[in-house]
Amino acid sequence: MSKPTDLVQGTLDLLILKTIALESMHGWAVAQRIRQVSKDVLQVNQGALYPALHRLEQQGWIEAEWGESENNRRAKYYSLTKTGKKYLQSEQANWERLAAAIGQVLKTA
Amino acid sequence: MRWLRSVSNRLRNLFRKDTLERETDQELRFHLERQITLHRATGMSPEEACRAALLEFGGIEQFKEECREARGVNRIEMLLADLRYGFRSLRKSAGFAIVSVLTLALGIGANTAIFSMVNALLLHPYNFRNLDSLVRVWEDRGIDEGYDARYIAPADADDLRSSNGIFEGLTTYSFQSFGLGTEGDVQPILGCRVSANFFDVLAVAPAAGRLFSAAEEQPGADQVAILSYGSWQRRFGGDPRLLGKTISLNGRVYAIVGIMPKDFDFPVPVELWVPLALTLAERADRRQLSLSALARIKTGVSVSQANSVLAGFSRRLEREYPKTNAGRATTLLQLRKELYMFTLPLFLLLQAAAGFVLLLACANLANLVFARMIGRQREIALRSALGASRGRLGQLFLLETLLYSSAAGVVAIATSFASVQALRTSIPVSWTKWVPGWDGIRVDGSVLAFTTLAALGVGLCLGLATMLHASRVEPNKTLKETSTGIVTRAKRRVRSALVVAQVMIALILLVCAGQTIQGFVRLASVYQGFEPASVLRVEISLPEKVYTDNVKIANFYRQVLRGTASLAGVQHASLVSNPPASNVDNETTFFSIEGRPALKVTEAPSADLQIASPDFFDTLKIASVAGRTFSDADNADAARVVVISHGMASRFWPKGDALGHRIQLGAADSTEPWLTVVGVVGDVRQNWWNPITRPVIYKPFAQSLERSMTLLLRTTSSPTSYASGVRDAVRQIDSRIALHGVNTLEEEIADSIAIVRIMGILMGIFGLMALALSSIGVYGVLAESVAQRTHEIGIRLALRANPRDLMKLILGQALKLTAIGLAIAVPCAIAISRTMATLIFGVVTVDFTILAGFTALLLLVALGAGYLPARRAIGVDPMVSLRYE
Repeated sequence: MSKPTDLVQGTLDLLILKTIALESMHGWAVAQRIRQVSKDVLQVNQGALYPALHRLEQQGWIEAEWGESENNRRAKYYSLTKTGKKYLQSEQANWERLAAAIGQVLKTA
Repeated sequence: MRWLRSVSNRLRNLFRKDTLERETDQELRFHLERQITLHRATGMSPEEACRAALLEFGGIEQFKEECREARGVNRIEMLLADLRYGFRSLRKSAGFAIVSVLTLALGIGANTAIFSMVNALLLHPYNFRNLDSLVRVWEDRGIDEGYDARYIAPADADDLRSSNGIFEGLTTYSFQSFGLGTEGDVQPILGCRVSANFFDVLAVAPAAGRLFSAAEEQPGADQVAILSYGSWQRRFGGDPRLLGKTISLNGRVYAIVGIMPKDFDFPVPVELWVPLALTLAERADRRQLSLSALARIKTGVSVSQANSVLAGFSRRLEREYPKTNAGRATTLLQLRKELYMFTLPLFLLLQAAAGFVLLLACANLANLVFARMIGRQREIALRSALGASRGRLGQLFLLETLLYSSAAGVVAIATSFASVQALRTSIPVSWTKWVPGWDGIRVDGSVLAFTTLAALGVGLCLGLATMLHASRVEPNKTLKETSTGIVTRAKRRVRSALVVAQVMIALILLVCAGQTIQGFVRLASVYQGFEPASVLRVEISLPEKVYTDNVKIANFYRQVLRGTASLAGVQHASLVSNPPASNVDNETTFFSIEGRPALKVTEAPSADLQIASPDFFDTLKIASVAGRTFSDADNADAARVVVISHGMASRFWPKGDALGHRIQLGAADSTEPWLTVVGVVGDVRQNWWNPITRPVIYKPFAQSLERSMTLLLRTTSSPTSYASGVRDAVRQIDSRIALHGVNTLEEEIADSIAIVRIMGILMGIFGLMALALSSIGVYGVLAESVAQRTHEIGIRLALRANPRDLMKLILGQALKLTAIGLAIAVPCAIAISRTMATLIFGVVTVDFTILAGFTALLLLVALGAGYLPARRAIGVDPMVSLRYE
């Protein structure tokens, strides 16, 4: 079973934040979206998503609200808070810089 | 801020726990349902879809737990659970809890009591504004003048006041004895003459009335007085309309213009203050260092800066007035520091001793905790096998020790109010009134903070130690063992080290206590050079107005001596200007020796001056070393003679030929008469605080008459029973004379060294505590280790081992540990005793009798502590001990 730790430490948080940045989403949708967008490369262990969501909520990056789902069931929707947006921006920038640097090293070294 | 919100979230989550649990359930169920629906859409059967969804999801319960942790509920919840558990296990082993809490409370309480003293006496001796900026200023002539000789010449003080940029204000003062009252009822009182700015420099305001004005510093305009609160209450019954009324001091009329507040008693508890009105000639004097000076340093000027400015000032005076000021160095010292120069080492010793007692208590508690831990090893192993993390277990132990130490802290604080008060009132007021800040000994905010910190610190340290200890438990091994008490070698080492440390600390403390008590005894007896038993002392002060000339004074005292000497039971009656143990230093004087080259001011020898009547040396049984003492023939008409102390004779006439030489009192060009040395007597220790015995010159009473003298009587029975006889005898001569300070000399000595005595008693208490705590400690460890070997002992006994050999085995272990502790402690104790000898009065050298005695005592204690459990173990039937688990 692939564990979320297979992802680079902290990337799961970044993925979640980015995924719900556009619209508020419930956990299952987040998992589906990450999978689809990454074209099945990133297989997030579904269960591990929830502790991450709760932790992000505890830290104040995201907030949760109960709402009606597409199949008319009650579901918990997560959306970015203001500080979460800022955090996402800085983290994304960090990530891009890091990825670019690694890419550069791999190409030239 | 984020931290704050996170905590508040956690707390909120804690109370909405059930709702959140339910919601998490709902959320996860929703996820699974959607996943199942998805799989169903691809054509799976319901069972297959369900299985696949669950598989993809992973362990539900595990993730639920992780969610809980993410919400932060767990940490607080666990803390509460641990706390509950801690309380429960405390209740379960109440005996253990009580013993450890009480020992720890004892240790913390001892520290609290001493800290309350240090806090009041060293940190807050006076409640003046900005105490640290107040300094004593004096001129150092580079000769050993003793503690009290810190004076400045009036003209130098004036120069310093007007020329420096470092002082906010400088004030001078000098003590004076006054006769208070009019004819017939004259009371001797102590007063202080002060410059007009005295109270301004101290920044104190009168409780009533006003302070002195600058104009009142002029001779003739100076007949105003400010009373102390105590004097106002005692002598004038707190008369609310006293201001403006007049009193008679030394026959002059003074108007009372002010009354100081209750807690003001600077420089010492005096009855009143009057202006220091110097004549122009006195003002211009640079020769005599006659005034005490106190200054307030400007804010922003440091003591070292001030000192360098003073050095420049001294050099300037030296250049301008080489005749008088050569070699004088103007010096300053913070008032607070000056106050406790001599008692500071005692306080430090006490605080250190109290700290040691706390260490012993800690070692004991650690012992008990470890002993209990060994019993709980299976529990620990089981808990960690069931998944309790190390951190979690550590938290549990930390909480437990913190519970103990907080409980001990609470007990210590609760009892400290009573114990600190007992400490404060254990010394007679007649002595403590001379100790600035003594009344301030109480449990205040800083003492409470100190106690709390001590308790928490002890709990934390012990808890951390226990945590380290617990982390070594290996569940795999421990659970496989059958016996409950497995002691690894490492553990035994820790506990052996504790025993060794305890024995060590105990010996050091006992030796320190023994030395201090011995020093106190020495101070009280042999060290004084005279025999204080069976001596009555009475202070007499003759009114200036009535006793105007020397003939009257001489006649009065001659009659007093004759009258009291003829009382039945009185062996000797004599007069002296300053009896030993008066807590007042002798007057000091320069002198020159005939036939020796005149010396510069800085090199002129100085000595204490005493005035004594013929029988003085016999009354106090002061040894006569050479020559003669005084007789009635040494009267005003006879040749001028002196008797000098042995110390003085051997210092200035090292060849032992002092007799017959002539000396002259005063500085080099003095006009005093020449005095012939006719005798040498033994050295007398004047006051306990003087570490050196100073040279003393005794002048015969009839050749140097004084109005205030102390009458000393050596009696055959209890001295106090002669007091009324003395009163009658004096009344017959002059009914207007009041007697003061009627007391036995022994009692006076005991009072004068009260502070040393209380130190001795406290050190004794600490020593006993150390002995008790270390006995408990050694016994505890040995009893435990014997109990753990019960099984083994049973086997040995069943195999017909000789009980005596077994006893030897166990006692040998006890002795080995104790011996190691003692071996480390003995050199430490010797080193500490050496240091004490240089710091503390009365402690002279390392006392090997004390050292050997306490070493033997501790060995005996260890033997006893080993013997009891050993006998119990050997006495048990082997069949029983074999079944012992």
